[in-house]
Amino acid sequence: MRTITFDIDRFDGTRSWTQSYAFEYDPTLTVLGSLIRIKEQQDPSLNFTASCRCAICGSCAVRVNGNAVLACDTRLDTVLKQWGADTLHISPIGNFKVISDLVVDWGDKIERLRSAKPGLKAKKEFSADSGCQQSPADFAKIQKQWDCILCGSCASECNKLTDNDRDFLEPFVYTHANRYAQDSRSADGMVHVKEMVKQGLWKCLHCMECVTKCPKQIAPAADIAAMRAMAFAAGNTDGKGPRHAEAFRTDLENTGRLNEVRLVPRTEGLIDAATGRMGFTYRMLKHGKLGALEAAELYLTDNKPIEGIDGLRKIIRYERDGK
Amino acid sequence: MTRKYAFFPGCVLNAAAREAREATEAVAARLGIELVEIPGWSCCGASQVQDIERETALAVNARNLALAEKMGLDVLTACSTCALMLRTARQELLAGRKDDINKALATAGLEYKGTADVTHILWLLADTAPEWAPLVKKPLGKVKVASFYGCHTVRPPKVMDHESHLNPQSMETIITACGATPVLIPERLKCCGFHAVFPAEPTALRLTANTADDAKKNGADCVLTPCPLCQMQLDMYQTDAQAAVGKGGDTPVLHLTQLVGLALGIEREKLGLSRHIISTDALLAKC
Repeated sequence: MRTITFDIDRFDGTRSWTQSYAFEYDPTLTVLGSLIRIKEQQDPSLNFTASCRCAICGSCAVRVNGNAVLACDTRLDTVLKQWGADTLHISPIGNFKVISDLVVDWGDKIERLRSAKPGLKAKKEFSADSGCQQSPADFAKIQKQWDCILCGSCASECNKLTDNDRDFLEPFVYTHANRYAQDSRSADGMVHVKEMVKQGLWKCLHCMECVTKCPKQIAPAADIAAMRAMAFAAGNTDGKGPRHAEAFRTDLENTGRLNEVRLVPRTEGLIDAATGRMGFTYRMLKHGKLGALEAAELYLTDNKPIEGIDGLRKIIRYERDGK
Repeated sequence: MTRKYAFFPGCVLNAAAREAREATEAVAARLGIELVEIPGWSCCGASQVQDIERETALAVNARNLALAEKMGLDVLTACSTCALMLRTARQELLAGRKDDINKALATAGLEYKGTADVTHILWLLADTAPEWAPLVKKPLGKVKVASFYGCHTVRPPKVMDHESHLNPQSMETIITACGATPVLIPERLKCCGFHAVFPAEPTALRLTANTADDAKKNGADCVLTPCPLCQMQLDMYQTDAQAAVGKGGDTPVLHLTQLVGLALGIEREKLGLSRHIISTDALLAKC
């Protein structure tokens, strides 16, 4: 008989421990099915949340070997093959307060979701009589974001959130903000974007954990990028994040390649860069990362334009202006 | 082994991470891999241009791929973010955007056909390890190496799908082929913070310090990464991270091809090991 072992993180409100449960391998099981079997046959005190069992309610997300999955939508066989082992570590999703065993607290998260100003404030031309219609093409732009089931998987391994959640929000919050920001029926999509700019929109690390972990194939990182683009296009270009992106964009058009020497002062401002990065600059020069003359030349004269720069500029201008 | 690729160095391999280019080219030459630089390649956007002008970034990378196609070669890069940006563009183009973007490319007399694949030097070296392992002249038997994959090397897996994103083994395969001992650290698949080092500097410095400290605590002689951006973050900012967080500060961070080069017996001067901020002297004494 093949035996599978779940080492499950337990928490009773005061005490934490890891408890092992062994059960017979069954190829028909999901991760949730395995948890239910353990609860029914071995330990009724094991706590976890689950309801629909078909990836709609979003209540059963847990971590398997440190990575969030939707338990009802994840076959046991899949994770056994992924990890090449018959013993798996099951724990509550990360970046949430744990209430009991695998049960996490959504109270604070819902309060943070409110900062996205979720809800559609429709354009004036819409009314109760005329309705609030949207073309299929416009609906397609936000359809994916509406698939969010608030399971929390995107937040579980978010590197930024794990480090500091005081200046950054759960990725699903940005997705919810963007689905209203991009909605063709919204009176003012920037209402949502402006709030997100205040709440860490430019602090995303691009670690791609949210995109990787979403069981509905939503890409919160793309929602963050879409709102950055909206903010930028609306003239919100101040701040280190926008200035950094703008430096890349203009270098690309000017010479085709990044000017690393100009990047820091363009991002931070000349005075801040000169005063705040003295030690850094000294180390760079001392260890030969950049030569002093080479750095000065790059700063003053820029990179030599790439072969075919005229063509590159035509392509960029076509995309930006010419369509 | 004889292989030929259209080489996409990316911006940092031409400047602050020049040693990564030197090491990549030296290793490629030793292993019979021909790297032909794509004439007129441009910045991939580095996920920054993608954030503010998504369509521009897509068209620019379609141009990069079209230039490689004219050479009749697949693309090889030694930067994980470049690999992700180019592969993302390729996936979008092949999923229905090709005709639309080709209108932009036509203004420059180019056409994207969809023939060139995009690979990473990491994947090439891991897949061919059985071929080149017998060429190792100086097995690094005394060296313990902590791998640090870098986010864009493995995520998102729909684009970076060469191996398991949860349990990748390519780095360990290469470390073992070099005769060194892999050390698995908790930070192995975490973020280095590079892409937000300015808007979220405290976070980036803590992530940097955590990785440097983890490697040291687990007995590693160095951190090894296949991404030059991770290397730059973990090496160039480690001193600032130590000052801010109080840990780390003296863990050498090598580019992937520098370790392979050492094992192959390539002269150290050709691998740019003196250009590191964190000294590699103690590590090299073990090689």
